[in-house]
Amino acid sequence: IVHYTSLLLRKYHGGHVAIRLALGGATNRPFYRIVAAYNKRSRDGKYIEQLGSYDPLPNIYNEKLVSFNFDRIKYWMGCGAHPTKPVAKLLGECWSFVLKPYMNRISFSGGQMWTQTGIKLPEDHGVQEKQ
Amino acid sequence: MAARCAGRALSRAARSVINAEYNRAARSQTVQRLTCTAAPGSSSSGQDADRLKAVQFADAEVQDILNRITGLDLNKVFQPVKQELKPPKYRLLTDTQLEEAAHKAGTQAKKLLKMPPVLPERKPIEEVLCEDKMLEGMDKAKYVFTDITYNIPHRERFIVVREPSGTLRKASWEERDRLLQVYFPKNERKLTPPPMFKEENLKVMFGQNRHHAVLNYCLVQFEPDSAEFKRVHALTYEDIEKNGKYNLLWSTRLFGGLVWHLISSQRIDGLLSDMLQRDRVHDAESLVHLFNLAHPQSDSALQAQQQQASGLELLKIYADCECQRPGFIKLALQVYEQTKTQSSA
Repeated sequence: IVHYTSLLLRKYHGGHVAIRLALGGATNRPFYRIVAAYNKRSRDGKYIEQLGSYDPLPNIYNEKLVSFNFDRIKYWMGCGAHPTKPVAKLLGECWSFVLKPYMNRISFSGGQMWTQTGIKLPEDHGVQEKQ
Repeated sequence: MAARCAGRALSRAARSVINAEYNRAARSQTVQRLTCTAAPGSSSSGQDADRLKAVQFADAEVQDILNRITGLDLNKVFQPVKQELKPPKYRLLTDTQLEEAAHKAGTQAKKLLKMPPVLPERKPIEEVLCEDKMLEGMDKAKYVFTDITYNIPHRERFIVVREPSGTLRKASWEERDRLLQVYFPKNERKLTPPPMFKEENLKVMFGQNRHHAVLNYCLVQFEPDSAEFKRVHALTYEDIEKNGKYNLLWSTRLFGGLVWHLISSQRIDGLLSDMLQRDRVHDAESLVHLFNLAHPQSDSALQAQQQQASGLELLKIYADCECQRPGFIKLALQVYEQTKTQSSA
């Protein structure tokens, strides 16, 4: 296994790349960008790449819009980036199994359950990676 | 557009989940074309339904005829579109340069006259990917997940909705259009269709004879195979047909669609009489030829096949067999023949 993380973080010792939500928007109106950034950077500071967005307030059709650039997320996960809990929850909900296989049923603050990795998948869904 | 989508979809076989319907439509079109060319016009008995498949809109022959009928009125094609006012530019040209400029104008006009596609209506997407009971009641709003990867054609993108009841389903066509406009906006397309496309407002537009504006806006706003697109186009064509305002769309790129719609519903009498009135006899002949291609089982087509007719005889056969207003067409043909003999004599 080639450890890309250490090559990537040559100048940045002891940290890792994280895929996390960076907060933006205005007062009483949050808006998150899903971002690949170094762990120790500030939450809204300089990031490596933006991988999507998440709007926590529902729109007129009662939808919360989430976007993922799955191609690049797979790349960063392959480089050893760690998703944070909210990002992993969103990824699990949209059924892209970028979660590690041992992460089944980890409960999160409100007693909410994550999707298990043991669910039957149809053959032609191109996004999943079974590990 | 149809050919490009079909090509890309065939090469991306792994991602063809959403595209399954479209693939099937494209493949069936090519199969029909093969049967058309394989059996050239053996139409002795009307029972050979397999051999006499009617032509589709996208066939080369049909497109050829429609392009010819549409006409090339440079004044109308390059009609001033409302833009910023700029002072006119004057250039000094030699004769050859002037000819070249006119030739270039002709090719540019042909590009502007490229017909928008007529596709079968899209079937609603109703695929449920997963039902997670344990996620039920977690949230009151739906989560809509879009794939923003840059290099995928929009028809093949994954757009997926997680309902509050825990079901994970694919997004419907309207949701898809809306979200693709959010993340990959097209110029001048709105998220919610503007109120112009409601019935009452459309009638106002038709009263002001602005059919081409309606259809152009419809092209920008909706996808060619959506129900809304088809509805607006049907209403426009009905209004034109009712009032005989065919000349509004002549020499625009919307004329081919109008002709195809009238041919599929077998109501080309108004258009024929209009063409004959404006002395476009060759266009009228090609129109009847197209009608025979599209409805190979009809009387006029079979008789034309038997007599190997062409030109004015085609029109006469059509007037005898299928026409609802034969008197006018026969009269117009007589007048045309008289003028031809007078001018030659």
